[in-house]
Amino acid sequence: MLPLVLRGFMQRKVRVVLTAIAIALGVALMAGTYILTDTINKSFASIFSVANRGNDVVISPTQNLGRETRSQTSPITDQMLAKVRATPGVSEAAGSIFTPGTFLDVHGKRLTNGGAPAFVASESPKRFESFKPVQGHLPLGPDEVAIDEQTAKRHTLKLGQQMIVAGSAPAKRYTIVGITRFGGGESFGGAGAAILTPTEAQRVVGLPGHFDQIEVAAESNPAHPVSANELRGRIRAALPATVDVRTGAQQAAKDTSDLESNLGFLRTFLLVFAYVALVVGAFIIFNTFSITVAQRTREFGLLRTLGASRRQIMQSVVYEGLLLGVVGAVLGLLGGLVLAPALNELFKAFGAELPHNGTVVETRTIVVSLLVGTVVTLLAGLPPALRATRVPPLAAMREGVEIPPRVLSARGLIVRLAIVLVIAVLLAALIGGSVAVSVVFAALWVGRLSARYRRGARPRRYRVVPALARGIGALVSWRGITGQLARENSIRQPGRTIITAAALTVGLALVAFVAVLADGTKATINQAVSRSFAGNLIVENSQSGNNEQGIPAVVAPALRRVPGVAGVAPIAFTEGRLKGSSSNVRITAIEPSTFGQVYRVEWKKGSNATLLGLGKDGTILTKSYADSKHLKVGQTISVLTPTDKHIALTVRGIASDNARLLGDLTITLPLAREAFGQRDDALNFVAYSQGASNAQVQPAVNRLLAASFPQTRSRTAAQFKQDQASQINTLLALIYVLLALSVIVSLFGIVNTLILSIYERTRELGMLRAIGTSRRQIRQMIRYESVITALIGGVFGLVIGVVGALLVTTLALSDSGYVQSIPVGTLAILLVVAALAGLLAAQLPARRAARLDMLQALASE
Amino acid sequence: MNTATGAPDPQTIVQAADLSRRYGEGEAAVDALAGVSVGFPGGRFAAIMGPSGSGKSTLMHILAGLDRPTSGVVRVGGVDLTDLSDQDLTQLRRDRIGFIFQTFNLLPVLDARENILLPLSIAGKKPDGEWFDLLIDTVGIRDRLSHRPAEMSGGQQQRVAVARALISRPTVVFADEPSGNLDSKASNDVLELLRHAVDDFGQTVVMVTHDAHAASFADRLLVLADGRIVHDGDAVTSEQALDLMKSVG
Repeated sequence: MLPLVLRGFMQRKVRVVLTAIAIALGVALMAGTYILTDTINKSFASIFSVANRGNDVVISPTQNLGRETRSQTSPITDQMLAKVRATPGVSEAAGSIFTPGTFLDVHGKRLTNGGAPAFVASESPKRFESFKPVQGHLPLGPDEVAIDEQTAKRHTLKLGQQMIVAGSAPAKRYTIVGITRFGGGESFGGAGAAILTPTEAQRVVGLPGHFDQIEVAAESNPAHPVSANELRGRIRAALPATVDVRTGAQQAAKDTSDLESNLGFLRTFLLVFAYVALVVGAFIIFNTFSITVAQRTREFGLLRTLGASRRQIMQSVVYEGLLLGVVGAVLGLLGGLVLAPALNELFKAFGAELPHNGTVVETRTIVVSLLVGTVVTLLAGLPPALRATRVPPLAAMREGVEIPPRVLSARGLIVRLAIVLVIAVLLAALIGGSVAVSVVFAALWVGRLSARYRRGARPRRYRVVPALARGIGALVSWRGITGQLARENSIRQPGRTIITAAALTVGLALVAFVAVLADGTKATINQAVSRSFAGNLIVENSQSGNNEQGIPAVVAPALRRVPGVAGVAPIAFTEGRLKGSSSNVRITAIEPSTFGQVYRVEWKKGSNATLLGLGKDGTILTKSYADSKHLKVGQTISVLTPTDKHIALTVRGIASDNARLLGDLTITLPLAREAFGQRDDALNFVAYSQGASNAQVQPAVNRLLAASFPQTRSRTAAQFKQDQASQINTLLALIYVLLALSVIVSLFGIVNTLILSIYERTRELGMLRAIGTSRRQIRQMIRYESVITALIGGVFGLVIGVVGALLVTTLALSDSGYVQSIPVGTLAILLVVAALAGLLAAQLPARRAARLDMLQALASE
Repeated sequence: MNTATGAPDPQTIVQAADLSRRYGEGEAAVDALAGVSVGFPGGRFAAIMGPSGSGKSTLMHILAGLDRPTSGVVRVGGVDLTDLSDQDLTQLRRDRIGFIFQTFNLLPVLDARENILLPLSIAGKKPDGEWFDLLIDTVGIRDRLSHRPAEMSGGQQQRVAVARALISRPTVVFADEPSGNLDSKASNDVLELLRHAVDDFGQTVVMVTHDAHAASFADRLLVLADGRIVHDGDAVTSEQALDLMKSVG
C-alpha cells in the first residue's frame, strides 16, 4: 500500500502543499516560540555568567515572598560588608548597586533602548566589574557617568556630553566620561546601564549606606587555598538570614532560572496561539481528507475487489495522513526558524525588546514540533480513514455508490460520544486557556489603576454547533443565476461547508471574544475612574506600564508647594504573605489624611473616618478578599513583609473597589515604608484648590516635574483613561496579529475545499460553459461560494465570540464591577474582513474553474 | 476460511442455488433475482445476457461475493459465501476471483506494470516472472509497460485490465461488460483474449454483456429476464444471440 500512497502523493503536489501548509503554520508558530524563548533564555544565561565571572561568592537580599518581589530596602549594609571583608579567606569584597532608573538627555527626552529597561549601576573594583570601558574610563567623581555603548550609539552620545540620571533622588546632570561594553556585547542584554561611583549610585537610588549585592573574591594565596564553596559556608555563618549567600556559579544559575520562569508566560502566551492554529489546521486536514475519501470511493471499491482488506484501505489513508503530517511538520519546523526572529520583531514593535543572540534550536524543539504536527494530522485524518473502510467493493462497479452509514452498537455509540466529548473538552480548555492567558497578559501590560484583573476570566466551555448553515446561506442571497448557483452549491454539502467555515469560526470567535473583553475592560476603567477618582491630576512614571519603578517619594512634598494644589495623596503598592498561606497578597499603601479627599471609597464596613484611625497596625480589606478568607472587622492577621518582618494587622474596615486601586489589603504609607521597605510611591493623586483651573495648575505641575523629576508626568482623568485605552489597544493589536495566523490557516482550508469541489464538479462546470456561461460568470460563482462560506464562518465566529465573552464576564467578573460593552464597529469590520478573506481565498480556485477546457470537462467521467 | 462441505460437483467452480435478491421493502420492493440456480464448470467461458433490469448484473455481483443474496447459497471453489466475514471475503477475492470492468478501472497514478501487479502487491505475494512475461506477451502490451493509463488507448487499458485479472491465476474471472466502452476492433481483441485465456490457460470466465457479438465468443449463453433464467444453452452466433434477446426483450 505504501508505494501506492507515495505515488498518489507525488502526483497531487498542489493539494499536498496546500493541505500541509494548514498544519505547517501552527507548527511554525510552535517551533518559532520555542526557538525564540530558548534563544532569549540562552542569551540571558550567558549574560548572567559574564556578570558573575569574577565573583567567588555573591550576597543578595533574601526574596522571601518569591522571586517576583524584590525587597525594596536592601538589608545589605556597610556593616555587613565590613563583616564579609573580615571573614578569613576573603581577599576582596565590594558592595554594588544595580537598580532600575531613568536616563534623559539634557532636553529631558528619555534615552531608551527600545523596550528594554535601564539600570543605574555602581562602579566596582576591577576584578568584579563586568562593564569594560571602550572609550574613556569609569566614573571617578560624583558628577561623572559611564554609559553602555548601545545607548551611546542609539542616541549619539559622546564623551564630554551631559546626560540626566533620575532615580529616587531628584534628577541630576552628569558628564559622560566613559563608554562601556558588557562581556562581548554593546550592553547588558539590550538594557541601558549608567555607571556611577558607588556613593553617587547609592544617593541616586535612595539607598545611602546600603547595597543591592556584595561580590566576594577568595584568597588566592596558595598556602591557604580556599574553595568558593568553602568560603560561601564561612560567610553564610557570619551573616543574618535576611540575605542569601551563593557562589558565583550558583548565583548565575539562580538568576537564569528566575528569568526563565519570569519569561515562562511569554512561551505559554505564544504557544496558546500555536495550539489554536493547530486546531484550525486539524479541521482543514479532516475536511480535506473527508472530501478526498468521498471522491475516491470508486478507487477504494476497486482496491477492495482486487483483494484489499479494510485494514489495507485504512492504512492507505492513514499513511497519507502520516506523510502529510511529516511534510507539514518539517515545513513548520523550517518556518519556525523564519518565524522566531519575526516574533522578536513583533515584540519589539510592541515595545518589548529582549536579548537574543544567535538561534538556539534545542532537540526538544525539533522533537515536539515534528511529533505534534504529525500526530495532529494523523488524528485529524483518522475519521475519514475509518470512513474509507466502509466503501463496499461494489463501488468499483457502479457510479454514485454512497458509503453506507455505520450501524452503531450501543457500545460504539458511547465510545463515539466519549471521543466527541473529550475533543470538545480539549477544545474548550484550549479556548478557555487562551482567553485566560490573554487576560493575564493584559493585566501584566496594563499594570496600573483599574487594570488589575489578575484572576479575571475562568475558562468557560462552549460548543460550536453550526446547524443553521442553510438559513444563513439563504440569508445571503444575490441577484442573478451565478449567485443563486453559488448559494445552492454551498448548501449542497452542508457538512463540508460547515467544517470549512468552522475553521474560520475558531479564529474569528477568539478575535471577537478578545475584542469584546477589551472593549468591556476599557468601559470598566472609564467608569471606575469616573466614579472613584475625586482628584484633578494623577502623577505617575512616564514609562508606560512601568509601575515597578514608580516615582520618588520626594515628589509629593514638592507638588504640595505648587500654587493651586490643595492636596496630594501619595499611593504605593507592595506585597506581603499571610501567615499559613503560600500566595502573595497585593497591598496598597495610602496616606490616611489625604486619601479620602481624592478617592471615593465604597465602604462596606467603615467610613472615611476609618482611614484616619487606620494606624500602623490597621488594615482595610477589599470585600472580595475578606469574603474569600472569611475575615471580619476586628480580626487580626499576621503578614510577612518583603523585609522579613512579621507584623500583626487588625481589620478596621472592608470596602469594594471596582477601580482596583485598593489591593487585597490597604495599609498606611508610613507602615509600608517602615515594615515593607517600599520607599517609592506608585502614584500621586493631586487635588486643586477651589477655583483653581486645570489650565493654570497642570502647566505649573508639569514645569516642576520636568525640572526635578523628568521620569514622571501628570495626567488628567481623561488623559489617564486615554492612556489605559491605548495600552489595551496595543495588547489587542498584538493578539490580533497572532490570531491572524489561525485565520490565514482557515483561508487555506477554503481554498482547498473549493479546489476539491471544483474538481468534483468538472462535468457540471463544463455543462454550464457549454450552455453559454461565461468564464467571468464561473469565476463569480466560485467567489460567491467562497464568500458565503467565509460569512457563515464569520457570523458564527462573531456570535460565539460575543456570547462567550458576555457569558464569561457575567459569570466570572460581574461581582468585580466589570462593565460589559460590545464594540459594534469592530465586529462589523470583522465581518467585512471575513467576506474579503473569502474573496481572496477564491482567487486561485476561481481561475482554475474558469480555465477548465469545456470539451475535456464534458468528457471526464 | 470455511472448508467446503458437500459440494455437489467438484468440477463446478461457481455454484448458485435458488438465489433471490430483493431491493427495497413493502410496496416499493423489487425482485432483482427470483430464484436462480446455476453452476459454472471450470475451464469454460459463459456469457450472461439480458435486457436492462433483468438481474444479470445483480447475479454477477452475488456470484462474486460483492453483494449478498436475500436467500439462496453461492459456492465459489466449494466455499460457501453465505456466512463469510468481510475478512474471509477479502481473502477469497485475493485467491480466487479476478475482475474485468466496463470502465477498465486502472489506477491513474500507477503505470501498466504496476497496475497488472497490483493484486499481488495488495495480497503481499511475489509475482511469478514467467507468468507475468507470458501474460504481457499474450495481451500484447510489453512496449506499454511503463505507460500510465492516461497515455493508453481504451483497448490497451482493457488489455492491461485483463492481465491484471489473470495475474493471480484466479479460480474464476468475472467480466462486467468488458467490451462496453470499446470500438469494434479493440472489442474483438479483448474478447479474443478472454477466449484465449479459457482455451490455453484453462481459465474460467463469467461475462455479463448485452452485446450479442460479445456473447458469441462464449461457450455457453445464459439469458436472464425479470430475475429468472429464461435460456441456458451452448455457444451461439451473434445473430442467434440477438434473436434470443429479442424474444425476451
